[in-house]
Amino acid sequence: MSSHREAPEISKDPVADSTDVYAFVSPDKPGTVTLIANYIPLQGPAAGPNFYEFGDDVLYEIHIDNNGDGRADVSYQFRFSTHVADPGTFLYNVGPIESLTSANWNRRQSYSVSENGKVLASGLNCPPCNIGPLSTPNYASLAATAVHNLSNGVAVFAGQRADAFYVDLGAIFDLGDLRPFENLHAQYGLNAFSGPAAGVNAVNHLNVHSIAIQVPISALTRSGHPTIGVWTTASRQRVSLWDADGGTTVNSGPFRQVSRLGNPLVNEVLIPVGKKDQWNSLPPSDDKSFASYVTQPGLAGLLPALYPGVFPNLAALSSSGKPRADLEAILLTGIPSGIIPGFQNFTGDTLADMLRLNTSIAPTAPDKQSIYGLLGGDAGGFPNGRRVTDDVVAIELRAVAGVTYALVDKSFTPDAAANKLTDGLTPASVSSPALSQFPYLGTPYSGFNNPS
Amino acid sequence: MNKTHQDSTTPDLSRRSLLQSAAGAGLTVTAAATLGVAATAATHVNAASAASAASATPDNAAASADKSLVVHVRDIKTGDIEVFSGTNQTRVRDRALAARIAKAIS
Repeated sequence: MSSHREAPEISKDPVADSTDVYAFVSPDKPGTVTLIANYIPLQGPAAGPNFYEFGDDVLYEIHIDNNGDGRADVSYQFRFSTHVADPGTFLYNVGPIESLTSANWNRRQSYSVSENGKVLASGLNCPPCNIGPLSTPNYASLAATAVHNLSNGVAVFAGQRADAFYVDLGAIFDLGDLRPFENLHAQYGLNAFSGPAAGVNAVNHLNVHSIAIQVPISALTRSGHPTIGVWTTASRQRVSLWDADGGTTVNSGPFRQVSRLGNPLVNEVLIPVGKKDQWNSLPPSDDKSFASYVTQPGLAGLLPALYPGVFPNLAALSSSGKPRADLEAILLTGIPSGIIPGFQNFTGDTLADMLRLNTSIAPTAPDKQSIYGLLGGDAGGFPNGRRVTDDVVAIELRAVAGVTYALVDKSFTPDAAANKLTDGLTPASVSSPALSQFPYLGTPYSGFNNPS
Repeated sequence: MNKTHQDSTTPDLSRRSLLQSAAGAGLTVTAAATLGVAATAATHVNAASAASAASATPDNAAASADKSLVVHVRDIKTGDIEVFSGTNQTRVRDRALAARIAKAIS
């Protein structure tokens, strides 16, 4: 979650495995949007001697659709190159790394960024991984120098960051346990839980690799159409062959998409296991064939079964067979005007899983933000784009549980528990807090201190 | 050899070279320059036709004579062969070529 190891094949290829996508109007530069795609899930910080890095053989992309057809109108491509100064040492670094040009840094990466195939910049330095007080002293300031300001108001960053996502993976994938409500769980007669418990953030103290780009809104939108759809993909060449003689991998052939992520949790929770990797290989424009998994979500049927007596109205709704037009709007078309007063991020009738951001909505002041985004009355948050601190687990749980169905069917009354669903976590469950400026994701956890 | 399409970037398949690997239901072969017969393309795909804009990135150089090739014999009986080089992909149908590759690896 939200897309960490979400499909069988991509779970075996972490370098190409997208974990989260964020898209929001930059709070400190409201004329721009910030787009972030995270990869390489669940990184233990103490990863020496070979610390995590992007794949030189992976094509990473962030796509923007600005005309509602589920196809990319603007794509940013990121390609990485690894450089080894001294292959004769086993060390990542031979002394403190105090700058991005430090001679002590033995294995480093740089990258190019292109827009629709046109190179914007190349040779951009990534920061090192956060190793510890001897190898990477003053890490935060060192990493800040890896923010590159390009022409035309574009800024980019690519490197390790703390995972900002918070989720109780351990409980949720133990047969749908939500610890704050686990005394209400059916428990299969095992009587494992006697009372509610606090949530556990399974990805706390773990890192990811982030690709972040900040772009003027005007560069991404069409006049009069402020809503954009955002997703990321990773692609690999069709052939990958281990050349034992050369001790290297030979890659050949055209690139093919192996990973995709727009809205959080869609492939993770809604798409069935037998179709997850196929879903990963396709563009959002093909999502019509997956729409039934959104409008008839299996999770909506599971909740009443796992929590007997808690969701009677949801059970009736699910058994009625009525398609979930609310989820279709939130995840596949955007929310049309007239549903939520003063808000819309509708992109048309094309069913496409994209993270939709109405860029005309100003960022919400920090003291006015709700981690529940639109469900909390805050149009600056998910599902209007996604901020780093949004509680997308609770938002989507509540939506699937029927809270949002009442928006499209006034005769439906959500169960009392639906609007309280949570895995018990908040942004405070993330030990490395979000930054107030680009790239917004917190300083990665160091291997010296994590685990401790 | 059947050919339904020929592309100017079709790799030169004129000189025999190294067979490094075989795998799967067919044979997958890397060739430093190639395989002992002249070949023409049946279906040529490059990165420009991929789902993404991968092809346009500067790191994706087109096939060149000094680059290795990867040959995947999908079906020896029908001679269904895919040839990969750089970010290009060519599909040919040549039973004789498939048979020669199979013989070389056996």
